[in-house]
Amino acid sequence: MSELEQKKTDLRSVSQTWFSKKLNVAGIYGIVALFILLGIFLQLLGVINNFMTTSNMLNIVDAVSMLGIVALGLAFVTYSGHFADLSIPTTMALTGIVAVQMLQFGFFAAIVSAFIVGTIIGLINAFAIGKLKVNPVIWTLALNYMTLGVIRVIWANKQIYPDMIASSERAVELFDNIYRLRFFNKIAFPMIMLIVLFFLFHFVMSKSKFGIQLKITGAAKKSAEYSGINVERVIGAAFVISALTATLGGLTITSLSRVGAWYNGAGYDFKAVTAIVIGGMTLAGGRGSIIGVLGGVLVIGLMNNLMTLLGVGTFSQDMIRGIIFIIVVGINAKTLRTMGRDDA
Amino acid sequence: MMHNKIINKKLLSLGDRYRIYVLLVLVFAVMTLFAPHFFNAWNLTSIMKTVAMNGTVAIGFTIILIVGQLDLSIGTIITFAAVIGLGLKEAVGYGVSVPLAIIAGGLIGLINGLLVAKVKINSFIVTLGMLTALQGAIYTITGGNTIAVTDDQAFAISDWLQHQIVPTLTPRVVIAIVLVISFSVFLRRTRTGRNFFMVGGNSKTAWLAGVDSDKYTIVAFVISGVMAAIGGILFAMESAAATLNLGTNSLMYVLSATIIGGTSMAGGKGGVFRSFIAVLTLTTLYNGIVLLGLGNEVQIFISGVILASVIFYEAFVEYRHDKIVGQRTELLKELEIVR
Repeated sequence: MSELEQKKTDLRSVSQTWFSKKLNVAGIYGIVALFILLGIFLQLLGVINNFMTTSNMLNIVDAVSMLGIVALGLAFVTYSGHFADLSIPTTMALTGIVAVQMLQFGFFAAIVSAFIVGTIIGLINAFAIGKLKVNPVIWTLALNYMTLGVIRVIWANKQIYPDMIASSERAVELFDNIYRLRFFNKIAFPMIMLIVLFFLFHFVMSKSKFGIQLKITGAAKKSAEYSGINVERVIGAAFVISALTATLGGLTITSLSRVGAWYNGAGYDFKAVTAIVIGGMTLAGGRGSIIGVLGGVLVIGLMNNLMTLLGVGTFSQDMIRGIIFIIVVGINAKTLRTMGRDDA
Repeated sequence: MMHNKIINKKLLSLGDRYRIYVLLVLVFAVMTLFAPHFFNAWNLTSIMKTVAMNGTVAIGFTIILIVGQLDLSIGTIITFAAVIGLGLKEAVGYGVSVPLAIIAGGLIGLINGLLVAKVKINSFIVTLGMLTALQGAIYTITGGNTIAVTDDQAFAISDWLQHQIVPTLTPRVVIAIVLVISFSVFLRRTRTGRNFFMVGGNSKTAWLAGVDSDKYTIVAFVISGVMAAIGGILFAMESAAATLNLGTNSLMYVLSATIIGGTSMAGGKGGVFRSFIAVLTLTTLYNGIVLLGLGNEVQIFISGVILASVIFYEAFVEYRHDKIVGQRTELLKELEIVR
């Protein structure tokens, strides 16, 4: 008997040393470093200019700050093993358009009503997916279309502008400043939001009780249920968080474009999933970290910036992004499997 | 009393299985009664034209869902095939370019399938990456312009594809129906076809029973690519132009139809013919909404509501079933009939 127990060394624990664990988290930042080195190299060769400047570095983060905010929230959904929240684009559009409409009652009324609408969408998702266990992909896709329909029925394909609706100049200025406020003349407000959310969510996901419950739910839902975790509430909370960050993203993008319209936020669902998955979070759930997701967002920012500096066309960028996406995920899946950790 | 209940459940079960046919008859009846200019040859032909493309694409998509995977790239494969087929026509003619377009669709499916089955990446991710890459490829190839063919031969083929063999049945519709029926028979009546259901139902069991699950998954993706390509190229040949948003709406359209038709996202359950009928139902509904003068917005809203109510209903059945598992076996038996 004792012999048997001795032989029962779990291969996974062997291959998962302290170093390999760190490497796994650092992996995405390895790619970030690789892209920065590539940029410096190209600049030294004289192929591109202005890569290693403070303003360009800030631009990179600025350009992906909205995507980052949305991706950090969506990461909770992916972490809980529910793929993605595809209702993000119209959540962003609806909250933005509601905020613009409510500007007639002042700035704070606008923000509060946007968050109320965001929370309602989150709660609908929470009820359907947490309680009724509907397939998350189709459900959120269906909700996306219903919300889109609501926007287009109520506002009838019209775009609404803050300065035509707001009661005072002050409200318009405040609303415009959601995107345009600059600290020290350089650091944009969305960037601050991104950094604050990053630290907050990192703490919530890795240190708090909710984060640990979410991890168990994502990794093994049945076990979580049997160990007394209120799985329905945990999953619901993940979707509410995702809807709230989508609201933040929606307010920011509406403030950026100065127009409330149904197409605000289009494409953000798949972009955010791309960032999350590049960042090492697996769709099976329970694996990955907020640090990784931020790395994934940065990789996308760097990639876009480098390609733009190199003069690659927008459409070719799409193609290259898609191919890099599959390659990175493929390598990740392969490493996980050789390490003995099934990727599923 | 008990007996009565069981008969009721049986009726419910029948209704559940054939709900898509009931829906079709209902939608058709309502539209015939209320929508102006609905029931005439011209309008019915225009409905069938839309059905021909999405119905063909739905064949592949249904098989993908049956093996328990997801293919988000069908919309871009439709456009890609149309662009290849019409773009190369000047150089080599339809005789070469059309088969090339269909092979291209198959190759894309093969890449998807290999990445899913062999590299074992989640199909959601693979096809999402493929969607992004293909979207870029389409715009890079065309430079963002619609491809139109304007020579006599192209117009002759376009005319031929539009003529009605029997009222409302154009050659494209006939091709779609033939494909649907042959795949339906293939899936239900042959051993190979039934193996697809086994792979989707439980791939471990399928493997233990000697079915190579990887192979079936790859073949499913290839079929999906080929069907999307056929749907796209035929549509483009009929209109003698390949617009770049040709397949944009197809993903939502086909996904909704397949789910409403009773194919399960969990895999192992579904049918090609029912998906086709569901495509027909949705197209009739959208057409009717437009004729009623309600516009695009209402159409988007209603398609969301229909999809949501169908999945809500299915989740409710599942939920009720989960609730009584392990409690009273005789109750469970009654529910089994409904499921």
